Amino acid sequence: MTVRRLPTGPDTAPADPGPEQARPRVHVEHVMGTAVVLTVHGAHDGPEVGDALAGACRMLHDADEVFSTWNPSSPMTRLRRGEARLDQLDPRAAEQISEVLELCRQACSLTEGWFDPWALPGGVDPTGLVKGWAIERALAVLDARGLTAMVNGGGDIAWCGQPPDGGWRLGIRHPWVADGLACVVVGDGVRRAIATSAGYERGAHFVDPFTGEHTMGALASGTVAGPDLAVADALATALVVGGRPVLDAIRRLPDARGGGRYEAYAIGPAGEEWATKGFPFAEAQP
Amino acid sequence: MRYRAPFVLAASAAGLAGILSYHTHGTTLAVGSQSPAGGAGKRSAGSGAATTTPPATTAPDHTTPSSTAAANQTVTGPTVQYGYGQLAVRVTVSGGRITDVSVPVLQVAEYTSQYIAQQAIPMLKGQVLSAQSAKIQGVSGATYTSQAYDQSLQSALTRVK
Repeated sequence: MTVRRLPTGPDTAPADPGPEQARPRVHVEHVMGTAVVLTVHGAHDGPEVGDALAGACRMLHDADEVFSTWNPSSPMTRLRRGEARLDQLDPRAAEQISEVLELCRQACSLTEGWFDPWALPGGVDPTGLVKGWAIERALAVLDARGLTAMVNGGGDIAWCGQPPDGGWRLGIRHPWVADGLACVVVGDGVRRAIATSAGYERGAHFVDPFTGEHTMGALASGTVAGPDLAVADALATALVVGGRPVLDAIRRLPDARGGGRYEAYAIGPAGEEWATKGFPFAEAQP
Repeated sequence: MRYRAPFVLAASAAGLAGILSYHTHGTTLAVGSQSPAGGAGKRSAGSGAATTTPPATTAPDHTTPSSTAAANQTVTGPTVQYGYGQLAVRVTVSGGRITDVSVPVLQVAEYTSQYIAQQAIPMLKGQVLSAQSAKIQGVSGATYTSQAYDQSLQSALTRVK
């Protein structure tokens, strides 16, 4: 396993913004307790883009209403507290919860238990996967309109459409350097999602599923890139908590039907780095 | 009455084939009304996901009302303290709309304090010391506290002419 190097030359000058129509349109939505940034690329100023963005935001809020574990009356809270059975919930909420929990079961198996929503205090908690899932659903609204877009929920990013000039390039935040990047990653139409989980996000908010104890995690930062953000979210959560065993589990995954696979990059607390062989580091800065 | 998710994740004997081929579908809204998909796609929708659109309202963009807004202004908002640390938001506005946002300042107090005290910040092989120069569309790596983010962003926007 090698970690490819990115040349660190002098800072380049900021790019010419180009004609007005080519500038992206950015919308910030406050939902799920965080700021989600939705960006539509290309020459789009019409109301249909506003409609699409509103629809995407509705998806985010919908997921928040169903899954928020901060809300005492959300369907997920009622289910996990044993206040209601799945078949007593609103049918469409039950459908979404079923889908998410099935994903969680498979992610738990795939990570050999390092992603385990059932090991969290207070009842089953799929939060480590829901953000990625919600972002994918929001992105699907934009995708169905034929837009080139990116939805960025802090650690979790997914994109669709024609890549901008130079391709999709995502930075992974440096754990210790403000406004710095640990590296740059490239994406495409198959590898279209990236999730990073890190101890710097909110302090010791992870739970070790095997001991039940709070932990800052085995890693400073764990990143997973692949075809779907819900899955990447779960894998990244497991990776930062478990470290090496999860990296190895990801390395052993078979390719998916359709060719995509999940790749991982890990930063240890002393700056050590590990990555799976195919992790999509950018070769060079332009 | 049993409820089954419409997208049953087929599991192989090893239990992995389903999740590895899984793609989230954005179809059913659990709450609120659904209306038929509208708008012609500019290219084929690969996954065939239907869209649901709300009644026609525009997303509440944080844009300045002035139509004579200067081109391409970038303003960094104040550093806002919140429960776990501090952050500041940088915003670029062009032609009256936001074209870029980033977070150039993010420090989680208990996480960085040990490194600051020891003056021993680990260096990484491929690191880029300024996110601004890397020609990227986004940064993966932090879940911002909404209130602090909004505070810094809104303050920055008031300074855009």
